Amino acid sequence: MRSLRALVARALGLFGRAGQERDLAEELESHVQMHVDDAVRAGMSPEAARREALTRLGGFDATRELVRDRRRVPLLESALRDLRFAIRSLRKSPGFTAVTVATLALGIGANTAIFTIVHAVMLAPLPFHDPDRVVVVWETNVQRPGRSNVIGPANFLRWRGRATAFQSMSAFYDFRTSLTGSGEPEELVAQAVTPDFFATLGVTPLLGRVFAPDEGPDGRDSVAILSHALWQRRFGGDRTIVGRSIVLNRRPFTVIGVMPAGVGLFLKTGSLVGKPPELWEPFAFLPEQAQPQGRYMSAIARLRPDVSLEKAQAQMTAIASSLTAEWPQFDTGWGIRLVPIHDELAGEMRPVLLVLFGAVGFVLLIACANVASLLLARGTTRVREIAIRTALGASRARVLSQLMTENLLLALCGGACGILLARWGVALLLALSPASLTGLGRVHLSGPVLGFTALVSILTAGLCGLAPALAGSRPEVQESLKEGTRQGTSGVRARRLRKAFVVSEVALAVVLLVGAGLMLKSLRTLRRVDPGFQRRGILTARVNLPSARYKEDPEVMRFFEQAVERIGALPGVRAAGAVSFLPFAGLAAATDLVIQGEPVPPHGQEPVTEVRVCDNGYFRVMGIPLRRGRMFTDLEQRRSGDVVIVSDAFARRYFAGTEALGRRISVAMADTNPFMEIVGIVADIKDADLSTEARPMTYYPVPQLVYNAMTLTVRTDGDALALAPMLQRAIRSIDKDQPLSDVRTMDQWVAASIAKERFSSGLLVLFAGLALLLAAIGIYGVMSYAVGQRAAEFGIRAALGADAGDIRALILGDGARIAVLGLAIGTPLALLLSQALTKFLYQTRGADPLTFAAVVVVLAGVALLASYLPARRAARMAPLEALRHF
Amino acid sequence: MGEKQDVWQGTLALMILKTLETLGPLHGYGIARRIEQTSGDRLCLNYGTIYPALLRLEQEGSIAFDWGVSDNNRRAKFYKLTRSGRRQIALETREWEKTTAILARFLTPDGARS
Repeated sequence: MRSLRALVARALGLFGRAGQERDLAEELESHVQMHVDDAVRAGMSPEAARREALTRLGGFDATRELVRDRRRVPLLESALRDLRFAIRSLRKSPGFTAVTVATLALGIGANTAIFTIVHAVMLAPLPFHDPDRVVVVWETNVQRPGRSNVIGPANFLRWRGRATAFQSMSAFYDFRTSLTGSGEPEELVAQAVTPDFFATLGVTPLLGRVFAPDEGPDGRDSVAILSHALWQRRFGGDRTIVGRSIVLNRRPFTVIGVMPAGVGLFLKTGSLVGKPPELWEPFAFLPEQAQPQGRYMSAIARLRPDVSLEKAQAQMTAIASSLTAEWPQFDTGWGIRLVPIHDELAGEMRPVLLVLFGAVGFVLLIACANVASLLLARGTTRVREIAIRTALGASRARVLSQLMTENLLLALCGGACGILLARWGVALLLALSPASLTGLGRVHLSGPVLGFTALVSILTAGLCGLAPALAGSRPEVQESLKEGTRQGTSGVRARRLRKAFVVSEVALAVVLLVGAGLMLKSLRTLRRVDPGFQRRGILTARVNLPSARYKEDPEVMRFFEQAVERIGALPGVRAAGAVSFLPFAGLAAATDLVIQGEPVPPHGQEPVTEVRVCDNGYFRVMGIPLRRGRMFTDLEQRRSGDVVIVSDAFARRYFAGTEALGRRISVAMADTNPFMEIVGIVADIKDADLSTEARPMTYYPVPQLVYNAMTLTVRTDGDALALAPMLQRAIRSIDKDQPLSDVRTMDQWVAASIAKERFSSGLLVLFAGLALLLAAIGIYGVMSYAVGQRAAEFGIRAALGADAGDIRALILGDGARIAVLGLAIGTPLALLLSQALTKFLYQTRGADPLTFAAVVVVLAGVALLASYLPARRAARMAPLEALRHF
Repeated sequence: MGEKQDVWQGTLALMILKTLETLGPLHGYGIARRIEQTSGDRLCLNYGTIYPALLRLEQEGSIAFDWGVSDNNRRAKFYKLTRSGRRQIALETREWEKTTAILARFLTPDGARS
């Protein structure tokens, strides 16, 4: 209690110091006077008496210091004093402070921006109850190891019946629907879910209720739950929406609930649509779905609390093998994989983000090295100041704490500015980022992010401040007092340390430049890949005809025939066509086939083909040339004729060396699949993305397999996007309630497919540029400082007959040495680290000699440039003036 | 005068308190002189150390001060015991006696044997 009271008194002692100091001085003065009076009375001379009084007191100042220490909390006191002093001293050198804070702000800001995204994508908890227990259930195929496959409903029903590891297991699939009735007709992505879906996911609605267990079968399925975004966008956030009726796919639905903001589940791997769903409808399995046929759904499951992921996986693997035995036709070669939902959602961006996080860490290290080098330079100019402080009795610890306070202050200022930079940076990143990144939403500066920034700032202070502070507070700085203005040993040591910092900056910059160079080269290679079709001048638009309105195949066929006809007649249009699945626009259909006259291979090893339904116009629009044979006839395009066109890759793979034309194949697309004659062979096109090899492809004429959803394609000579309104009008003229969706040019589709690569390489280039700039500043700083320090030496050299060229060569040589050393350290490091990049690279080796050569040239050039200016200054220095520095 | 002893750590506070109890309000110089005199000049007190000790007692609430005028007309701080200070004397005296009694058992041959 007593010591607590004393502590409070001492903390309060921080205030009102002036009065206390005066009182103490007065008290001590009267003490001495009383002592002198007594001694004089005892017969001493006044002078001797005063001397004795002071001796017995132990000195005025020492006593005052003793009392002061007792009065306040010394640590806090000295910290505050350090801080005040640091502010004063930094304000005295605004140039240094500005450069340092700006450098740190760049480093810390870039780190904060990237961490914000890393946090949102990889670390932040999902908006589900107990998300760690939710897993995504995929099927796997031995022929495509490591890839997740959508699931078959029959399999799902068996899993759900047999697995005991889960509280619940729910199936779902995304589909397109149209919202009409209020405002513009609009195509939306909906998710059909089993009624327990929301319980499995672990979410509760914001308004209304979730689906009841008996909702889903025909007649009990006209209920819908809205996402928060759709509720806001289309219904203005109206809370009375629950219970109201809306029209989806031309059928009335009752809205029973609204989900909270950010709640939803979009699995890119399983989506046939490629966009996050905005509303939910219930579904129930049809009796025929219990029979094994096709894979097109996704599933999630919630682990029971007492079951681990490994146990559940083991159980599912066992179930998969028993299913293989039961349905060898369907399940041979198929397995089951459980993926924690967090991994599934972050999966795609995770590796890229880790690389970027590493790269941005390097930028911060370079910024630190730069600041450390600046601090060292500042330290050498402050040698006298510190020597005087030491001579006056400041301990090394005091000087060190003073210097570190200054560094911490700098780092915190840098951090604060960095947060501002990061706010813009994040907005920029989101604008540049591929859709899969923003899909998660909720990317913003949050508490954990700010904590991260604070931590990074403090670490930065330690990292870049410690060495200079240790060097600056070295006790032998007193030597420098004797040496006058010339540099002593500590000056030489500091200069060496600075060079070491700059060399490591160069080395780190080499790593970043190599990384950026490799990514750029890969991106360039990727962009130059010929997709096999024309990408310019093509507009595409998806049309999804509601089955409620277009019940029979002939109606659907008539609609698309009319649409293609009307669009083809628009001014400026060269060709028009329709296709079931557009290249680069997401998942598409692929299945097994049987070749007539050839032995049927064992289960799991059947030939596989992509299947597209299209008209001749599609080939014309896309510019896919006919290699051999013929196109579809008009009759084949109107009425089924059991013919197909296949791609080059198909003919090569399945009819190697023999004639494919005239052969007959049966493709497992429907319940019964007649043999169809191959009448033509067209050139290959890239279909999934630019980096995937063209796969065997089968084109059906439209009547053979009627799709309600097709993509219209139009080729024009002019600006393709300008056609969009006319396209819209043409469709409305056929059916006024029919919306169009994904109205985009082929160019846009292709660009979107490499958005991730563009994003990561763009950022790496940005970071590498920053690194190069910082390294250049570092070299420039250390060289021009050295020039100042060695002015006298140059004077002597000049006096002894060295001309300007000699001196310039001397400095340039110094700069070159730094660059060479940095390259010598950085190149092997880059070689090592570029291995981590290889999986992001397309047809580019990690050890690409051209990239490495380019980096060497660029860095050498920048190093020379950065040392050229100081060198020129040194060479121009008049010998006399230089000698005056001596 | 014989050899002089330094003041043991921790005992100075008790000496100050006891002095103030005996003599009433007194200034720093007076307290220091009185401690020396009481010890029969056997203690060598660095007068400077009395001031941090006084500040500490003040912060702990054992003493308070008033500004007053000394015998020879100098403005000086006069320290006096507070009620809590008196309690502190009683407490510390007991502690001290306990400590010396224990030490005595080690130092007296009789005590050690019994």
